Amino acid sequence: MTTGTVATEGVRLVYRRFSAFHRFNHYLVMTSFFGLVLTGLPLKFKDSYFSQQLMNAIGGVEAAGFIHRTSAVLNILYFVLEAGYMAWYVAARKGPIFSDDSIVPGKKDWQDMKGMFRWFFGRGPKPALNRFTYWEKFDYWALFAGTVLIGGSGLMMWFPEATTRILPGVTLNVALVIHSNEAFLATGVIFIFVHFFSAHGRPESFPADQVIFSGYLPVEHYVHERPLEYENRLKDGTLDQVVTLAPSPQRRRMFGWITAAVTVFAFLAATYTFLLIIWPLVF
Amino acid sequence: MAGGARNSVSGLAKEFTFLMRWAFSAFVLYLAALMLVAVPALAQTQTTVPETSLTDRCLTCHRQEYLGRLQVDEQQKDLYVDPAAYKDSAHGLLPCNACHTGFSHDPHQMVTNAEFFAETAGEACRNCHDDQFEMYKQSYHGTLTRDIASDGVEAPECVDCHGTHAIQEVATLEYRQSIQDVCGTCHGGRESTFLDTYHGKAITLGREAAATCVDCHGAHSILPISNPQSTLSRANILSTCQQCHPQASQGFTTFLVHITPTSPKAPVIVFLVAVFYLVLIIAVFSFGGIHTLLYIYRGIKDGLYFGKGGH
Ligand code: HEC
Ligand code: HEC
Ligand code: HEC
Ligand code: HEC
Ligand code: HEC
Ligand code: HEC
Ligand code: HEC
Ligand code: HEM
Repeated sequence: MTTGTVATEGVRLVYRRFSAFHRFNHYLVMTSFFGLVLTGLPLKFKDSYFSQQLMNAIGGVEAAGFIHRTSAVLNILYFVLEAGYMAWYVAARKGPIFSDDSIVPGKKDWQDMKGMFRWFFGRGPKPALNRFTYWEKFDYWALFAGTVLIGGSGLMMWFPEATTRILPGVTLNVALVIHSNEAFLATGVIFIFVHFFSAHGRPESFPADQVIFSGYLPVEHYVHERPLEYENRLKDGTLDQVVTLAPSPQRRRMFGWITAAVTVFAFLAATYTFLLIIWPLVF
Repeated sequence: MAGGARNSVSGLAKEFTFLMRWAFSAFVLYLAALMLVAVPALAQTQTTVPETSLTDRCLTCHRQEYLGRLQVDEQQKDLYVDPAAYKDSAHGLLPCNACHTGFSHDPHQMVTNAEFFAETAGEACRNCHDDQFEMYKQSYHGTLTRDIASDGVEAPECVDCHGTHAIQEVATLEYRQSIQDVCGTCHGGRESTFLDTYHGKAITLGREAAATCVDCHGAHSILPISNPQSTLSRANILSTCQQCHPQASQGFTTFLVHITPTSPKAPVIVFLVAVFYLVLIIAVFSFGGIHTLLYIYRGIKDGLYFGKGGH
């Protein structure tokens, strides 16, 4: 691509990665997840100083329960929308399901992972990554499947009397174990190990990646970050489907602010959660 | 005119003395009535005034902190009473000898009174809280005190659960939050499992309405579950849960309050799920952690963070 000095102001091209629907769903799952973590984890780590402080700030355990349930409804809405989209995608044959381009994991992901480890140790070049990398696929499916488990068990705990009209009481014990552990797992995966690192900590995205809020990526970065998708599209001649003119400067600035605000909030929330969890281990 | 006047004057005088007599009788009656009311009142103030100061007199010595580590007959004793905590307690207005019967003069006859008191510590509460005392005596803890205590089994008495000189009102969040620890001193395992349930977490964080030990087991009527009279026996458990869960059915009552999910003694399904998650969490966090650290390492080493490789 000829970029930089040649492409003067006004002729900026971007790669459109996420549609309005996907961006909306990300907002939905993001806000509801923050609400759920901040009102759920204090119960799990009840002995932590920060849990008590957070509960007091929210207005008590009952208020937290109310926020938890409201957020849960939004979280379930995300799931319904995403599942509906998937069903529609498959039924209407919107695109290939098993290909390098799709979100479904395949053999290439395994090879990419091995390639990445070789690269980490300086034993080879960085592999040419797909449209969705293996850790992005993990992130996506872990959240999707996790929501089934955490939402299902959460609904049982929300309506324990109704649940035990059909099922034995031990179901509630199992639900609590699933909910509590899955919540911890999801919080770790999203706030620390996979998602936040992928969105903020990688060299390619540091300090923050605005693609999920704006939907686009400067073409220069796209070529660099998703070389394989770029090659494929170039070959198939489908590049013009995803490359468009950049939005207006005002909109670009707005997305920049949204990204910055969310990043700051996410950083604070993750730090708080981290302190909340390690506090009882230290003191 | 004069005679008439005189007559009328003496008539007036007669009338006056007559009135005076009535007034005097009424006054006497009034005084008598006053005495009837006032004497007991006076008598009462006479008895209560010195007794309130009796508390203060007792406390002139017992507020001294060195009494907290006193050596009496080669025995270490704690005879310190915190005056502020006492005055704030539910019994703050009681004179000390409401419980320490026999202590009315100072310096008191310590040895005889102490012996008397040691044997009747539980009885000290009975005078005023007979209902609780009778219930307690029929509960499992109450029978233990009589029969098993001599074998060295420690069963709780009134003061083990309520304290002595800082007894709190029970219908407060603070007291409700302390119950789990009170029972936990002897039933530690039960406390830790209870704290893993929603009830335990919620009460710890300040939700007063969540169940604590005594909402399920009773406070002064605690019995083994096998006893049909227990609040948690097969026949009674449903109504116990229904106090707070009106929609509860029999199935609801089979929720297990006291299990440790990661212990093999837990129901097998709970155990398997708990162990599965333990392994999964360790695996995912370790792999994720290593992957992340290596990525950062390579990023820094190749100068990708701020150099040309990145944005
Ligand atoms: C002059 C100081 C003094 C005053 C006043 C006093 N005490 Fe004591 N009290 C002591 C001392 C010293 C002991 C420990 C002596 C011993 O046990 O031999 C003691 C012991 C006791 C004991 C425990 C006895 C035992 O060995 O278990 C009780 C109960 C007690 N006092 C209650 C009271 C009450 C109630 C009052 C007020 C009516 C009171 N005391 C007033 C000094 C005082
Ligand atoms: C509600 C009843 C009650 C009142 C009121 C009360 N006490 Fe006591 N007190 C007790 C009981 C019961 C014990 C025994 C505690 C034990 O056995 O652990 C006790 C123990 C003591 C002891 C220690 C005895 C020992 O051997 O450990 C002292 C000293 C004492 N009280 C002093 C006082 C003083 C002074 C006051 C007044 C300020 C007072 N008490 C008011 C119930 C009471
Ligand atoms: C095993 C611990 C325990 C023992 C032993 C115990 N209590 Fe209680 N008591 C409690 C608890 C817990 C409550 C609060 C009950 C509630 O919240 O429903 C309570 C409540 C009370 C109340 C408030 C009124 C009521 O019934 O709710 C009084 C009074 C009382 N206890 C007196 C006594 C007396 C007197 C004794 C000794 C005979 C005694 N308690 C023994 C735990 C105990
Ligand atoms: C002289 C009478 C008397 C004696 C003896 C006595 N109490 Fe009390 N107790 C009271 C009074 C009065 C209250 C205040 C009741 C109220 O506030 O409604 C009270 C309140 C309480 C409360 C709080 C009740 C509530 O409703 O929250 C508890 C618990 C209690 N006493 C336990 C005990 C214990 C344990 C003993 C024995 C160590 C004891 N009492 C001895 C008179 C007594
Ligand atoms: C001072 C120690 C002590 C305290 C405090 C205490 N208990 Fe106990 N409790 C015992 C002992 C000892 C037994 C008899 C255990 C046995 O028979 O094996 C017992 C028995 C029981 C039992 C009968 C079932 C069994 O394990 O045999 C129940 C239920 C119980 N306690 C509940 C409670 C509750 C609820 C509290 C708090 C309100 C409490 N206990 C506080 C010592 C205590
Ligand atoms: C939601 C109701 C509930 C609460 C709250 C609760 N328990 Fe229990 N508890 C039960 C039931 C049901 C059982 C019988 C099943 C079992 O043994 O697990 C039981 C059993 C017990 C037993 C054994 C009784 C026996 O006869 O074998 C003890 C002791 C006990 N609980 C103590 C406690 C203590 C201490 C607390 C507070 C820290 C507490 N429980 C809180 C419901 C409750
Ligand atoms: C003193 C009141 C009280 C009693 C008694 C009580 N509970 Fe609860 N329980 C609560 C409250 C409050 C909640 C929270 C309900 C909510 O937020 O919807 C709760 C919630 C629960 C839950 C759902 C917890 C979750 O995981 O979300 C279960 C299960 C439960 N109780 C079981 C029981 C059983 C079984 C009994 C009888 C042995 C019992 N409870 C007795 C007050 C009580
Ligand atoms: C999506 C639907 C969800 C529903 C219906 C739901 C519902 C519930 C309910 C009813 C409780 C019991 C406590 C209370 O009443 O406040 C609870 C507890 C909890 N929730 Fe959720 N929840 C959901 C999702 C989540 C998510 C996504 C997380 C965090 C990642 C989470 C974290 C927790 C935690 C940590 C607890 C405390 C568990 C414990 O006691 O250890 N929940 N949830």
